[in-house]
Amino acid sequence: MDIAFIVAVFPKLLAGLPLTLLLAVLALAGGGAIALALSGLRASSWVGARIADFYVYVFRGTPLLIQIFLIYYGLAQFPAVRHSVLWPLLREPYVCAVLALMLNDAAYTSEILRGGLRAVSTGAIEAAKVAGMTRLTMLRRIVLPLAFRQALPAYGAEITSMVKATSLASVVTLMEVTGIARAEVSQSYRAIEVFLCAAMIYLVLVTVIARAIQLLEARLSPYRRPALARSPA
Amino acid sequence: MTPTTVRLSNIHKSFGGQEVLRGIDMEARDGDVISIIGASGSGKSTLLRCIPFLEIPDQGEVTVGDTHLRLSGAGHRFSRAEREKVRRLRGQLGFVFQSFNLWPHMTALQNVMEIPLHVQNRPRAECRDEAEAMLAKVGLAEKRDAWPAHLSGGQQQRVAIARALASRPRALLFDEPTSALDPELVGEVLRVIRALAEEGRTMLIVTHEMAFAREVSSHAIYLHEGRIEEKGPPEQVFLDPVSERCRRFVGARPDARGGA
Repeated sequence: MDIAFIVAVFPKLLAGLPLTLLLAVLALAGGGAIALALSGLRASSWVGARIADFYVYVFRGTPLLIQIFLIYYGLAQFPAVRHSVLWPLLREPYVCAVLALMLNDAAYTSEILRGGLRAVSTGAIEAAKVAGMTRLTMLRRIVLPLAFRQALPAYGAEITSMVKATSLASVVTLMEVTGIARAEVSQSYRAIEVFLCAAMIYLVLVTVIARAIQLLEARLSPYRRPALARSPA
Repeated sequence: MTPTTVRLSNIHKSFGGQEVLRGIDMEARDGDVISIIGASGSGKSTLLRCIPFLEIPDQGEVTVGDTHLRLSGAGHRFSRAEREKVRRLRGQLGFVFQSFNLWPHMTALQNVMEIPLHVQNRPRAECRDEAEAMLAKVGLAEKRDAWPAHLSGGQQQRVAIARALASRPRALLFDEPTSALDPELVGEVLRVIRALAEEGRTMLIVTHEMAFAREVSSHAIYLHEGRIEEKGPPEQVFLDPVSERCRRFVGARPDARGGA
């Protein structure tokens, strides 16, 4: 192990961090929006629910790497895609990677959301209903806040797994942390040093995110802790 | 003549072919305290839940204050205007559940403020003052910032009563308010309900607490298999009922406080 080499390569890898974070943020934002749409679809009708089930089944049941390959290499096979107005976007590896991560995240997030919604007690809903709340107010004030608190730990795990999943974008030429690491290895042949550095970056990132989620959870759900931890006013 | 606050006419309700309510007529006038008693399965909770449409009657009419709804057949599809009416009807009632049903992510004070603030859209300062007054009324002023999970069952139920009061309802409905409580916590909740009765509030109470019901109510109703079997002043229903079944029901529980 060459310490001087590690010190030199570390900043190079860090240069890929913004792209890694951007991929994760876009995937989570887009995936979250699609997940909400899937929840709406699931609630709309029997057919809607089966479509949502099928979506989740397919995207959770196949490897993310293959989903990326299908979108990046596969779509180009169809002349209709090559001639569509979207082609300038769809031939960009960056767009394809975000799209794959997004669609994949949506499948997992919609299941997490479903679990959170199911955990909202009928009693809490009846109490809102009987007081004359409209459906929208009930969603906004009672159902979603309770579902969100319930789903937060699982969603935290999904955030960290998405951050790690962005490393797969390196196989379609993106120069995020892992992409840069692979390029460095092919030049220096020092796989251990470079990949350990890359691993450290992900580890720190995941640790920070996990801690932030924990703090948010404690802040939103202080009632889950015993009363003694918090002296009454 | 005092105005009618709640009126039910010919209410029918079935669950999966089993007819639970078979034509109930009843009326609560302003200031009435009506206790509804009966064996388990007699339909008394279903009856109470039909008033704010927590259960939707298959047939019959429900009137609360100036709001009136008529249903004519199971599986009734509510029009937009009817849904609005249901909401208005609910807004005139305060409902207290057997299992409290406080919102766990809100403190006691936030629970009590929620409806005045977010449904009735009253000014925040007014809502807070009134919520604090309601908590004081049920003896929990010092618990305003406590979470429901950190309160005893009796305290949670008293917060739930404060919450029901905060929306300034015309009538309060209690669905077995002490049945989920440990025996030593029943008294504190009954004391609060009794104080409300003495204020002249209109209340309908489904309960197993016979001695309490006899004391606080102005009228009592005994339900049997979905029909009103006996009704009248509490002295009649609890001490000298006409119906033989009712006589056995109340007679079988000379010291009803120890009962189920």
